[in-house]
Amino acid sequence: MKFNPSNNPAKFTRAISLALRILVAFSFAPLFGATPKIPAAESEPSYLTPLDLQLSPDGSRIYVVCEGNDSLIAVDTHTNRVVAQVKVGHKPKGLALTVNGKTLYVANEWSDTVSEIDGATLAVRRTLKAGWGPTSLVVGRDGRYLYVANGIGNSVSVIDLATGKELRRFSSQRSPQHMALSRDGRRVYVSNVLPHLRPYDEPPISELTVIDTQKQVVAERILVPGVIELREIAEAPARQGGYLLVPFMRPKNLAPLIRVEQGWVLTHGIAVVRPPLTRSPVAGSPSPQVRGSQSSHATVSLNPLPSLSGRGWPAGPGEGEVTSARVTQVLLDDIDYYYADGYGAAFTPDGRYALITSSGANVVQIVDTARLAGFLRRNPAVEIANRLDSARQFVIGRLPTGADPRGVAVSPDGRKAYVANRMDDSLTVVDLARLRVTSTIDLGGPKEDSRLRRGERLFRDARYCLQGQFSCATCHPEQHLDGLAWNLETPQLGRDRVANRTLRGIAETAPYKWNGHNPDLITQCGPRIAKFLFRSEGFNTQELQALVAFLRSIPLAPNRHLAANGQLTDAQERGKAVFYRRRTNDGREIPYQNRCDTCHPPDTHYTNRISTDVGSKTQYDTISLFDTPQLDRVYEDAPYLHNGMALTLEEIWTIYNNYDTHGVTSDMRKEQLNDLIEYLKTL
Amino acid sequence: MKRLLFIVILLVTATVLAAEKPPLITRWENFTTANGIPDDKVFCLAVDGPRVWAGTEDGLVLIENGKVARVYGTGDGLVHRVVMGIAVDKRNGDLWIGTFGGLSQFSGGQFKNYTNLTSGLLNDIIYGVAVQDYWVWVATTAGISRLDTSTGEWRNWSEFNAPFHEPWSYGIAPAPEIGKVYFAVWGGGMIEYDIATDTMKPYTDPDEEMELVLFRNQGLVHIIVSNVAFNPDTKMTWGSTYFGLTGYDGRNWHNYLTKDSGLASDFINAPKSRGNEVWACTDKGLSFLDYKTNTWVTYRRNKQNGHGEIEITWPDQKKTTLEAPTSLAHNYILNMEFQGKDIWVATAKGLSHGIREPQMEAQLYGNAKLDRRSTRGRQGEGAKVSKDGFPKSGQRPAGSQ
Repeated sequence: MKFNPSNNPAKFTRAISLALRILVAFSFAPLFGATPKIPAAESEPSYLTPLDLQLSPDGSRIYVVCEGNDSLIAVDTHTNRVVAQVKVGHKPKGLALTVNGKTLYVANEWSDTVSEIDGATLAVRRTLKAGWGPTSLVVGRDGRYLYVANGIGNSVSVIDLATGKELRRFSSQRSPQHMALSRDGRRVYVSNVLPHLRPYDEPPISELTVIDTQKQVVAERILVPGVIELREIAEAPARQGGYLLVPFMRPKNLAPLIRVEQGWVLTHGIAVVRPPLTRSPVAGSPSPQVRGSQSSHATVSLNPLPSLSGRGWPAGPGEGEVTSARVTQVLLDDIDYYYADGYGAAFTPDGRYALITSSGANVVQIVDTARLAGFLRRNPAVEIANRLDSARQFVIGRLPTGADPRGVAVSPDGRKAYVANRMDDSLTVVDLARLRVTSTIDLGGPKEDSRLRRGERLFRDARYCLQGQFSCATCHPEQHLDGLAWNLETPQLGRDRVANRTLRGIAETAPYKWNGHNPDLITQCGPRIAKFLFRSEGFNTQELQALVAFLRSIPLAPNRHLAANGQLTDAQERGKAVFYRRRTNDGREIPYQNRCDTCHPPDTHYTNRISTDVGSKTQYDTISLFDTPQLDRVYEDAPYLHNGMALTLEEIWTIYNNYDTHGVTSDMRKEQLNDLIEYLKTL
Repeated sequence: MKRLLFIVILLVTATVLAAEKPPLITRWENFTTANGIPDDKVFCLAVDGPRVWAGTEDGLVLIENGKVARVYGTGDGLVHRVVMGIAVDKRNGDLWIGTFGGLSQFSGGQFKNYTNLTSGLLNDIIYGVAVQDYWVWVATTAGISRLDTSTGEWRNWSEFNAPFHEPWSYGIAPAPEIGKVYFAVWGGGMIEYDIATDTMKPYTDPDEEMELVLFRNQGLVHIIVSNVAFNPDTKMTWGSTYFGLTGYDGRNWHNYLTKDSGLASDFINAPKSRGNEVWACTDKGLSFLDYKTNTWVTYRRNKQNGHGEIEITWPDQKKTTLEAPTSLAHNYILNMEFQGKDIWVATAKGLSHGIREPQMEAQLYGNAKLDRRSTRGRQGEGAKVSKDGFPKSGQRPAGSQ
C-alpha cells in the first residue's frame, strides 16, 4: 500500500522524525563516542553545598543553608562544630532570622515553600507557601511580614506571618535572587540577576528594586546601567551614609570578542548606591531613561529616608547638589588579574570594612570604606566604571577562601567574618582585627570528590581563564543564561551576535552553539573555548570530562506552568491542539516542514537537533540556518531566537514571523497564539 | 418627660427634613493646560489616597496637594500618549494604564509596557482597565483581555469565544462582593463574568431585536453601553448608555431617562456609584442621584457667565436651580472618581475637583429660601436665588474662580 503523508500525517511525522534521528545518530556517532556516558542516576554523594549563612543575634551560632542536601545547619561559634541540622525543602537558598533570632526562615527554591524553623531547637514549625522559586527572604522589623523573592516568578511575596498566607505580591525584575532589609526596617532591597529585557544590540540595564515596608509599595526601581548579575546587598551604617554595596558583572557583549585583556570581555565590581544629598522634589517620580552604551552613572530618584541621609558622604567632583540617588560603579578587578563572580557582601558593624566574596576567584575581598569614599570623592563617577586600577586604592586585602565562596556574615562584635564555601562544604573564618584567615570549619560533607563535584568546581573556577577573568558560571549564572547576546564570532567582526543559552537539561540536545557546529559538549567546552574564550590552556582531558559530566547532569527546574498531576488547563489543551495542528483555520494543509512538532518533536526535548532557517537572519548574520533550540522550560529562557531579538515568546510570531517561515501562524487569532504559548510553557 | 419626647421628635423631624436636601458640591477647582495639565481633554481618573491620577489625550498627570505634581508622557516610558483608563492596584501601589497604544504598568517610578505584539494583549486600543486581586482586566476594541500577574498568563474574550454581539469593550467593573465582573460593550450590552464558573453572560435588550428596552424596567436600557460601575454597598451594577442610565440589582433593572428623572442627558459616558449615590457623566453636565430619596442634582457650567448651575430635581419632579460661583470645567463629562467626600471629574475641556463645603451649602440652600414643603404643588416653579447666585452676604467662598 502506498503511504500517503496527507492521509496519516502523524505516522508520516513519526517516520520522518525517526529517519532524521537515525541520520543524526550515525552522522555524529564517532563524536558522541567521546562524550562521557553519564548514567541516568549516577550515584552521587550527598554534598552539603552551603550557600547562605547568618549569625544569631548573640553571635553564638551560625546558621548555614545547604543547597546540596536540603538542610539547615547550626554551628556553634565557640567550638566551631556543627551542633544541629534539619531537613528543609528542596534546593534551599536563602535564610532570614527574626530580630530576636528565635525564628528562622529558609527559602526552598524547588519546593516553592518557606520553612519556618525554631531557632533554639531547629525544628520545622510550619511550611509556608511562596511564589515560584523562592530564593531569598527577609523578615520585617516588627516580625509581622516575611518578604520572599520568587526567582522564577519574578516577584516578591509578602507573607503575613500570623496567618502564613500571602498578602500581596510585588513585581520585580528578572530572577530576583537576593534581598536585604534596611537597617531602619523601612525598606526591602531586591537585587536581580538578569537584566531588563531590552533590544539585543543595546547595553544591559539591571535593577535594584526597593519596597517601602510602611506603605507596602514598590518605592523605587533603581537602575544600574551596563551591568548584570546584581548579587547580595549590604547597607553601610547610617553614620557612614547608609549607602548600599551590590556586587555585579559588567559585560562588554556588544563589542566583538577579539581582545580579552584590559577588561574587554567583562569585569567584576560593585555598585555603590548613594542617597540623595537633598530631598527629591517629587516622591515616586520615574527614573530617567538610561541610554548610551557607556553609561555607568545612573541618576535615579530615591525617596529620602532618615537612614539614607547622605551624612558623611559629600558630593563627588562636579556633582553639586544631587537630588536623587547616585549609582556609581567601581571595579574590584586589577589590571593583570581579575576577581570573578562577586557574590556575598557584608559590612563590619563599625562600617570600616566591606567584605565581598568572589566566588570564581576563591577569595574574600576586604574593602576599606574610608578609602573607597575618598576614591569616589576624587574621581568622577563616569570615569571609573571601566578603570582596572581602581581597586588597589581601596581593596586592602584578598583573603583565600575555600572553593566557590558565597555568603558572608560578620559577627555582631565585629571580630570575625564567616564565608560559606559552596563547593568545599566548609566555612572560612576571618579574623577582622588582623585581616587574616584563622580557621576553616568543616561542615561535615562527604570527603570523596566525585566526578560531578570536580566538574562543577571547574565550572565555577575562573583560574582556567586568562588572568582569572571569568568562569563558565560567569555567563551562566545559576547554570542558566545571562540574558545577553554576545558578539562571539571573530571571522567577520561585529556580525553573528548570538544569545546566550541555558545549560539546564542540555544533555541530550546536541549539537551545540546556534550554528550547530559543535556536535557534543566535549567539543563545545574543549580546546575551542580554551583558545577562543578563556585564552588559556583550558582544561586537561580529565578535567574536561568531569566538566562535561557536570554539564550533562544539570537538571531542569520543576515546571511551574504544569499542574502537579500533569493535567493541562483548557487553554493549554487548546494550545496543544495548535502545536500539533495539521491544517490552518481555513482548512489549508500546513506543509510538513512548517508544523511546530516537525522541528520541535516531543520525544527529543522538542528539538529535532537540526539547523533550520526560520527567517530570523538579520543584517548582522552571515548564516541563515540556526540550531533548533529545545523547548523544555522555555518560559525561563527569554530572550528568544538566535540573537535574542524576540524579547517575549509572543514576539517570535507577532514580529519575527511575517512570512510563516517559523511555523504557520499568520492565520491564527490572538486567542490561539496565547493558547499556544500557554502550552509551550508546560513543556 | 413630654418635653424630652418633643425635643427628640423635633430633632428627628429636622434630621429627616435635612436629609431630603441632597449634599452639594459647592466649589470647583479646575485644571487645564493653563495650570499644568498637558491636554484639556481628560478621559479617566484614579484616586490613590491623596494622589489623583488623570489620563489625558497627551499623557498621564499626577495631582498632589491641589497641584499638578508631575506629567508623564511617552518620553518617560508611557506606551502611548492617549490615556483612556487607569487602575490602582491597592495591594502593591502599582498603576495600570490603558492607552490607545497598549497597556503600561507604572511601578516604582518605571513603566513596563504590554502591547499586542509583545504580549498576549488582544488589542492595543484600550478603553478601560481594572485590577482584581492578581488579575488585570483590559477592555479593548477587540474584546476583553486579562493578565494574571501571578502566572503571566493572558486570556482573551471576544466574539470568537464569548457571547459578544460586538467586541468593542469600553469599561470594566469588578464586583468581588458578588463574585462577578461586569463589562460595558459598545453595541454588545453589558456582559457579566462569573468568577466561580468562568462563564460570560450577556445582558442586551430584552427581546434582542430592538437594541433598546421597550418598557421602562424590563431590561438593559440599550445595548450601546459606554461604561459600567459596581456599587459594593448596594451590590448594584450601573451601566451608562447613550440612551439612558441603567441599574441592575441582580434580579431587576432600574432605568432612568431624562424624560422621567433629573438626568441631565440620556447620552452618558460613565456611571459611578457608592452608598446611595449614583453619578452619571453626561454630555450636558454631571448628574447625581440619591437613590434612596430619588432626588437628583445636576451640575452644569453656565456658558454665559461661567458660573456653576446646580439643578435639583425633587422626587416629585419639581426643580430648584441654584447658582454657585464656580463650575465644572466643561459640561461634556467623560468620567469621575471619588476622593473622600470630594469628587474629581474628567471633562472634554479640563479636569475638575469638586469640593463639598457645608457652610457654603447651607448658604446656598438658605439663599434659595428653600422650603421643601412649600415647593410641593408648585409645578415647575423653582426656588428663588439671588441674581448673581452668590450668598446675599456677598461673601464669595475662598478659592472660588
